[in-house]
Amino acid sequence: MNYKPDEGTLMAYLYGELDAKEAAQVEAYFNQYPEERIRVSQLATVGKLFRLMEDQEVIAPPVFMGDGHVSRFWKSGTFKTILSIAASFLFLLVAARLIGPDITYSGGELRISFNKSQVKESVVQESSPLTSEEVQQMINESLVRNNEIISSEWENNNLALRASLEKNFASNSAKIDELMKVTSQASQDQIRSFVAGLQQENLQLMKDYLKLSTDDQKTYVEALLVDFSKYLQEQRKQDLQLFQTRMSSIEKNTDQFKQETEQILASIISNPESIKKVNNY
Amino acid sequence: MAGTLLDIAMMHSDALITRAREGDKNAQGKLVQLWYKRIYNFAYKFFFDHDLAMEVSQKTFISMYRNIEGLQEVTRFRSWLYTIAVNYCREELRKRKASRAVSLHELKPGEGETSYGWEVSGNKQENPERQLRQSELSELLQQCLLELSEEQREVVIMKEYEGLKFREIAEALQISENTVKSRMYYGLDGLKKILERRNITKETIGYEL
Repeated sequence: MNYKPDEGTLMAYLYGELDAKEAAQVEAYFNQYPEERIRVSQLATVGKLFRLMEDQEVIAPPVFMGDGHVSRFWKSGTFKTILSIAASFLFLLVAARLIGPDITYSGGELRISFNKSQVKESVVQESSPLTSEEVQQMINESLVRNNEIISSEWENNNLALRASLEKNFASNSAKIDELMKVTSQASQDQIRSFVAGLQQENLQLMKDYLKLSTDDQKTYVEALLVDFSKYLQEQRKQDLQLFQTRMSSIEKNTDQFKQETEQILASIISNPESIKKVNNY
Repeated sequence: MAGTLLDIAMMHSDALITRAREGDKNAQGKLVQLWYKRIYNFAYKFFFDHDLAMEVSQKTFISMYRNIEGLQEVTRFRSWLYTIAVNYCREELRKRKASRAVSLHELKPGEGETSYGWEVSGNKQENPERQLRQSELSELLQQCLLELSEEQREVVIMKEYEGLKFREIAEALQISENTVKSRMYYGLDGLKKILERRNITKETIGYEL
């Protein structure tokens, strides 16, 4: 056998990474050269020994690193907010330019508008100056006048309301009385007719009930009688059959007895010795 | 390798990788959580130095974060991630060589000595954890591992500790699969010789292999 595995093949065999055919070849080689098997097994022992070396415990850092990308200013939220405000302002300016702005400042008042404003000038009419006493007097007069008007209106309204109430009350009480009378009369008649109707209905009901129950009872008793007569006939028939059967049975037994007796007598007669024996006993 | 929930999650993280590739920041963060320990331990075993391992891990995941959108196949994520990690490990190693900074771990024991001079400092007595047998064994094995060439070390760590297939290691290191297997063979053979030289056997360490 010329086969001699190289180091690579031996390693693959040692770590089980060899296919079955090659492994069988190596196995055959080891059978032929046992010292080679020992040498490879010593290497395996070395490997096992070194596997005894323990792993070191280490904790992975929880935060590894940043994403490495430089964050662009124009991608930041702040920049976007500022940009949107600026865009809105620019839009307003453009709109103002197109429509025509009108900015005025007068008397401490700033007015911005996008169309020509038609400012209504407040017309302040100059009036003759009044003293406070005169104003007070005017107010008082006005109040007195107003009070008078209100009190007179109040009185009128009060009177009208009272008259209206009295009128309504009188008419309503008359109507109610009339209604009560009609109602009481109507109710007496209605009760009478209702009671009469009720009595009539009850009477009719009772009559119908009695009639129906009488008819039913009659039918039921008839059916009962018919059934009972049928039952009696059936029973009689069965009794007769039973009687006949028993009679025939008795007749049959009597015949049999008669025959047996005849046979015994015949045998006694035909065999006189047996009579003697009987007599000896 | 498999067995813990984390390992199972790592094995079934295709959907997560797809989302991360599409720019999902949450998925990228989860990938970091899933793979950070593995990459850290790969680098730690490569350097036997916590700071360097942290440095490499962080750089690896920064690179992953920036370049994951260019990942062609989701199934190749693991080898792709280890490619990044290996490249940073090599970069750190070059820097250290250039600056001639020598770690205490790189100091070889003197002639006739069985252990490193700095090991007999009061550290072990001061730190109770170092008195634990497992911890000592890990340290001892780590020192043996450091004696391997960096090429063999990369392959041995990826195979023995990270559980990558030879094909995946070849992808990660961008070399042929046969070269990977060959490096693995000579790496194990080298470790065997180192253990023999240090008189470390399964009897001396008291472990059932």
